[in-house]
Amino acid sequence: MGVLMGQALVNGILLGGIYAAYSAGFSLIFGVMGVVNLAHGELVMLGAFITYWIFFLFRFDPFLTIPVSFAVLFVLGYLLQRLIINRVIEEPPIMSYLATFGLHLIIANIALLWWPADFRTVTTSYSGINFSLGGIIIPYARLATFGIALMVVGLLYYIVYKTDMGRAMQATAQDKQMARLMGIKVERVYAMTFALGAGITGLSGSLISTYFVIFPFMGMEYTITAFCVVVLGGMGYIPGVLIGGLILGILQSFAAIFLTTGISMALTFIILFLVLVIRPAGVVGKGIIE
Amino acid sequence: MGRVGWKLWVLLGAVIIPLALVPQWGVSGYILRFLTLVFMWVALSGCWNLMSGYTGYVDFGPVVYFGIGCYTVALLMTRGGISFFAGVPIGAVVAGLIALSIGIPTLRLRGGYFAIATFAFAEGMKQIILEFDRVFGVDFFGGSHGITLPIGPTNLFFYYCMFVAALLVMGVTLWVENSKFGYALKAIHQAENTAEITGIDTAGVKMRAYGMSALLLGGIGGIYTYWITYITPQDVFSVHMTVHMVIMTLLGGMGTFLGPVVGATFLTVIEETLWARFIYTYLVIVGGIILVVVIFMPRGVVGTLKRRSLR
Repeated sequence: MGVLMGQALVNGILLGGIYAAYSAGFSLIFGVMGVVNLAHGELVMLGAFITYWIFFLFRFDPFLTIPVSFAVLFVLGYLLQRLIINRVIEEPPIMSYLATFGLHLIIANIALLWWPADFRTVTTSYSGINFSLGGIIIPYARLATFGIALMVVGLLYYIVYKTDMGRAMQATAQDKQMARLMGIKVERVYAMTFALGAGITGLSGSLISTYFVIFPFMGMEYTITAFCVVVLGGMGYIPGVLIGGLILGILQSFAAIFLTTGISMALTFIILFLVLVIRPAGVVGKGIIE
Repeated sequence: MGRVGWKLWVLLGAVIIPLALVPQWGVSGYILRFLTLVFMWVALSGCWNLMSGYTGYVDFGPVVYFGIGCYTVALLMTRGGISFFAGVPIGAVVAGLIALSIGIPTLRLRGGYFAIATFAFAEGMKQIILEFDRVFGVDFFGGSHGITLPIGPTNLFFYYCMFVAALLVMGVTLWVENSKFGYALKAIHQAENTAEITGIDTAGVKMRAYGMSALLLGGIGGIYTYWITYITPQDVFSVHMTVHMVIMTLLGGMGTFLGPVVGATFLTVIEETLWARFIYTYLVIVGGIILVVVIFMPRGVVGTLKRRSLR
């Protein structure tokens, strides 16, 4: 029983790292632009498929494809912001929900046309290798994924809080008009925010492809989990994704081992609902409250 | 109803009276079922408009009350031996009561938080109904297999049921549009804090709008259940139903009486034609329509026309 508990905890922590990585972009985009990106999961899906195809066609190691999916999603994010999101950002928030939901439908269904709905996996030579620590099994690939995920969140934290671009993002998030008066090109900040958010989400998609099965309609589930992680940690508060990711990862892992996976989904929503109602600024109380 | 112009009454009469007579002209079963579907969407998006269109609080989980209505009626009819006519009002009341208990905590939230909380509740409810039987080892909701009802009356019966439902929702909207209650809702939309200072019981008004919308959604769900005779959690708690209500209202114009009617009719017709012709790409096209509306017509058809006539 002790080993099983320990295994559930380790699985949960490893899972939480992944959750944190792909939710960070969601949190960034919400924090700076106030946009709830319902096409977020599709960005994860595209990143995962980029890795899958490069691996499948050229036999490149999935971890080496990370820069490619970052670059592709970065450019895509920049374009989406310039062509679509920018036009609705001055409208009431519902317009951005709907615009991004429209994007979700378009991207997911085009993906379904190109890549039929089969479940695919990226299985490398080292996929099954693991080491054991006091009876608890830790796969090397998952540990590496966890490390990269932490690095991604750390890097994003550095960019947002320590660089000039990041300070411009924070200024824009706090007061758009004032930022504009201070000479910040708000449109450019928005485009960079969305591009950066999309880029790290795509990168996380690459990490996910080594972990879970991938298919064109996988996106919605990831959007929902990202919602939950970001609400738990505090909307717009970047380090919060680590807290939210770990809480959710550990809870789901325990629920999946001791109850059923279906219940772990229900648990996700119940937690999401309760946190919103009881503590909308997140567990540590540093999120943005409207 | 003083502010409603005679033009609107003529327009409504010209549409409603022929629709009431259509079944007498011997149209095909397909047309009858299609019109029933149009009425259902007019009613559903009208319910969403009542709450979200007027107050600006974006409810992203209205489908949950539709689903609760569906399951209540299905359970009452299959296990309780209660008739359809008694079941529908009970379904509506159950949905309304649940809305009261959920509305109290969630209506304090604003903007994106309200949207996410309602969404989470709807999805959570779906998962609970899906898993309930397996977890507790009982046979109640039927899990993912859903519930099958006995075959109901003819298409004609449900045509009139949905017709009445749509008229009821439209009637309530018309009343809201011209009542003090409706003005309070619109005031909340424009400036909630100011509305509160002027003496509007904002919490109470929002609650009533939310409960009213849930009550109607529950009733429509009840009719739908007996019409389709087969329900599963994935179908009746589907996020796509929510999205349809939102898009139809938006397409027509949020917070207007005719908005949901125009939007629902337009989108149902478009989808029916597209779905038959472009079976693989139709969701891409629907996504494209959403983007076009959001970018070029954010006020919807009715909203845009209204604005133009005011100039």
